Amino acid sequence: MRSRFPMLVVLAGFACSDGTIGDTLGAPVAAPIVFESVARRLSLVELDRTIEALVGDTTSPATRFLTPDLFTPYDNDYVQQQPSRALIEALDQMAADVAARAMTDHRDAIVGCTPTGAGDTVCMRDFIARFGKRALRRPLSTDEIDDYAALQSYATESVSGVTNDFYTGVALVIRAMLQDPEMLYRVEVGVPTDKPRVTQLGDHEIMTRLAFLLWGEAPDDALLAIADAGGLANAQTRRSVASGMLADSRARAQVQRFHSMWLGYRAIPHPPALAQAFARETTALIDDVVFDNARDYRELFTSSRTFIDATLATNYALPLPGGTPAWVEYGAGGRAGILSHGSVLSTFGKFSDTSPTQRGIFVRTRLFCEEVLPPPPDANVDAPPSSTDGSPCKANRYAQHRESASCAACHGRLDPIGFGLENYDMAGRYRTHDDGYEECTIDGRGEIIGIGSFSGPKELADMLISSHTLDACVTQQMYSFAIGRPLTGDELPQVERATQRFAASGYDFRGMLLDFVSDDLFAQKREPAQ
Amino acid sequence: MSIRLNRRAFLRSSGGLMLGLPLLDIMLNNNGTAFAQTGGALPKRYAFVFAGQSIGGDNWAKNQQRINGANVTAEHFVEPAATGAGYALTTPLQPLAALQSDFSVVSRLRIPYNTTSSASADVPAGGAYRDFHGGAAGPFLSGMRSNAANFRARGKTPDQHIADLYRAETPIDTLTYRCQPVFYISGYDFSGRQYISYRGDNQPVGAQTQPSVAFNAMIGAVPTGDPGENAAIAFNNRARKSVLDLVADRRQRLLTRVGLADRRRLEAHFDEVVALEKRIADLSTSGIDACEPPRTVPTDPPIGGDNAGSGSGTIGTNTGYSGEEERATAFADLIHFAFKCDLTRSASLQLTTFQSHMNVFGITTSLGYPIRADLHEVGHNGDDDTRGQFAVSLVLQWHIARYAYLLNKLKETDEGGGKLIDNCAIVFAPEGGHGRQLNDGVTDNQTHSTENMVALVAGRAGGLMPGKHIRTSGAHPAQVFLSAMQAAGYTGNTLGEVTGNIPELFTT
Repeated sequence: MRSRFPMLVVLAGFACSDGTIGDTLGAPVAAPIVFESVARRLSLVELDRTIEALVGDTTSPATRFLTPDLFTPYDNDYVQQQPSRALIEALDQMAADVAARAMTDHRDAIVGCTPTGAGDTVCMRDFIARFGKRALRRPLSTDEIDDYAALQSYATESVSGVTNDFYTGVALVIRAMLQDPEMLYRVEVGVPTDKPRVTQLGDHEIMTRLAFLLWGEAPDDALLAIADAGGLANAQTRRSVASGMLADSRARAQVQRFHSMWLGYRAIPHPPALAQAFARETTALIDDVVFDNARDYRELFTSSRTFIDATLATNYALPLPGGTPAWVEYGAGGRAGILSHGSVLSTFGKFSDTSPTQRGIFVRTRLFCEEVLPPPPDANVDAPPSSTDGSPCKANRYAQHRESASCAACHGRLDPIGFGLENYDMAGRYRTHDDGYEECTIDGRGEIIGIGSFSGPKELADMLISSHTLDACVTQQMYSFAIGRPLTGDELPQVERATQRFAASGYDFRGMLLDFVSDDLFAQKREPAQ
Repeated sequence: MSIRLNRRAFLRSSGGLMLGLPLLDIMLNNNGTAFAQTGGALPKRYAFVFAGQSIGGDNWAKNQQRINGANVTAEHFVEPAATGAGYALTTPLQPLAALQSDFSVVSRLRIPYNTTSSASADVPAGGAYRDFHGGAAGPFLSGMRSNAANFRARGKTPDQHIADLYRAETPIDTLTYRCQPVFYISGYDFSGRQYISYRGDNQPVGAQTQPSVAFNAMIGAVPTGDPGENAAIAFNNRARKSVLDLVADRRQRLLTRVGLADRRRLEAHFDEVVALEKRIADLSTSGIDACEPPRTVPTDPPIGGDNAGSGSGTIGTNTGYSGEEERATAFADLIHFAFKCDLTRSASLQLTTFQSHMNVFGITTSLGYPIRADLHEVGHNGDDDTRGQFAVSLVLQWHIARYAYLLNKLKETDEGGGKLIDNCAIVFAPEGGHGRQLNDGVTDNQTHSTENMVALVAGRAGGLMPGKHIRTSGAHPAQVFLSAMQAAGYTGNTLGEVTGNIPELFTT
């Protein structure tokens, strides 16, 4: 497997990219390259959702037992995953925990038949076939059912001092299934094609891809029935199935999660009540744009209104007539869309405050999809910059970044972006001077080198859109999330074509997802070169 | 090799019975486990406790600091003023006051670097690529030079060397624990900062972060109960084994159908399942019950969210704290028990990660001096009121208190005619030192430095003679680790590209 260490290992400070968005997406159109993939382990969240769907367990067992996933920025990056003793020990314990709870809480619904006794092999095999198909996301062979059915001996044997019955065997089957590598990893076998190292995926493998992409969990019975019926190699069939899936609340949760990782606000660093209010605000806007009203996706960044409660009305100094949660217009001023939300504005801070450099990195990496290289080793990124004239003002202090040519080369591409958002603090509140320094007036003017100047989230969003950087980047981000790793350069032409379709659709985000799954590439896999 | 042994150690290793010496005592076994059966010498154990911080503040001399708003000039630096025995304990070492005769301080350690070139190809043997956090981690852990700022070790770490040594003799080859579960900075993640154990060149070992899982993988693997319940336990153990057998048996069916990349990944998974089965079997015959294990499963503290600003200097809440202290206690309890019961002879405990952004507001508040910053920023800025040597010393003291907790438990435990700690080599070392900045090679009094590093070695295994301060002239930290490895039975005289121990650790 190819090793891809993330380029964005630098914690802080600055860096530059030689490339522009044109460099990454302006390459001549090449033949489509099938996305390389390796058996992906379910992320903790995917595992939790899948287990909840399987046995009704709402206790987030994977999150409780397993070591946290790495976010790069997505939690499903298979390059980061490696089997470890810590993982295997946790899975062993998690499976026992889940199986025990399942036999307490939802036993009859899980088993699905009423056993005549501990030795009822018909009911047991029926359960194994049904549960196993859900757990392994494909029908089980008779041999496999035999293997699992052997555990029924623990239901029937007579041991003094042991209370066992039919469900003892059921619990053991659940334990084994939850530790089955085909449950834990998305193993794709497919059938060979005439292209080297490329396989065409089977119906159940395609359905598994659809379910984890659109719902963040394994396919349910209804989806597996569709896979059983076959035909998912057909693009239109996939599109139609996916379209139905997008109408489900699970798709909403998945799209919300994608955004929270992409834009970095999955663990908002504010007190819980405020953090939850921010999350509700952002969730409402995404639902409105992507689902409820199927708006032009760019409105996520340009929306003139926001959904707030009394806490946020106070926080943002916005009017909220009646005091009950409602959509309110921003009115005149610099605010628009998600870049005005306290959720997004709380991220990429530094030294307990907003960081013009970090916000520049945020815009460059997350909204332009540029690589920002680490700072040179001799740059001190751990102390706030200091001004040469002794001024405590941020604008003067960050001027230090422009004093040497080597600093300015990179910071010139970063800091001015952040300064365009400086009027908005880490909670999205408007401010006219630096925190604690009334003499440090914030002029709020920012610039994206080569594109133009702006002030505030609204003008920044307008520039991201008019320069056609945002639509290309959101497509790339979604692709990276979908295939479970950062994209390679030779894969970017596909993204460019997808971006063109995205634009042609009037920026229909769900349409972009549907285009992705109905592309031939979605039903194929490429083996990594050795 | 030039390891110097004291008389007792020499006699012990010579294998002869010497009346009048403690050898008779060490033939005895208090807990009725493995050694009584073999009649051999008591086992030697190695553990490494790691702190993700340096030992001095940026631009503050060793004796300068700001405490609660007042500038103070007084010693708080970790390195004691006097050498030898009976030195005055510095602020960070205070938790070890009652253990002063049980550990040694080794100071003025230095990871070499090229003073004239920062090129990757010019890094000297055992040296650091000149980018502190990412470049010093590798040579620190493995004695192998780094060639990039990628936090990766390019060789096997001491805990894994010791694991190799005793793998056939104990149920668990080594314990790998980490107390800081998440990175805390929005937009970024560990990228290698979370590893202190490597099986080889760029082969990191993922650590356990959940105390309850660690507990149940060891003590919980061998349930206890009154005799009436034993039948149920045996039944459950058999059932668990059947489940794992079934999972392991899926290997052939699956691996024949997939490509090479999938196969490698899945094989590694299956290998760990098989290893788990073996560990459970070995643990179940290891006599855990006779060692009187703790039976209360530790609680996993909640995981904190992102910090309010990377490198915050004014954090005023405990966001981004995940109960690292409670995790450290739970893991230390397990290491202690595993050593006591000879379940393993090697362990690593990562209290905080390299370049740790753990919020220290809560833990320093409980020490009486709230610092509104995260751990990494303490070395650079502290907060406006408390910074410099005192701030760094205080958070180092917090780390050393976790180490002291483990040492105290080892010292309270009888073994042979002495104490368990007598048969241990327990190392503590923070990530960096205080001196010339590694990155620019120019600025002094910097926290991003591999100069003036300090390590602690506790225990008397293999002839260690603790109780003193040893001031080296730039010995490599790997030489300290190597000394502890040798004390624990390692016969080589190199760690990575670094050769030779610290002889004074073995002399009076």
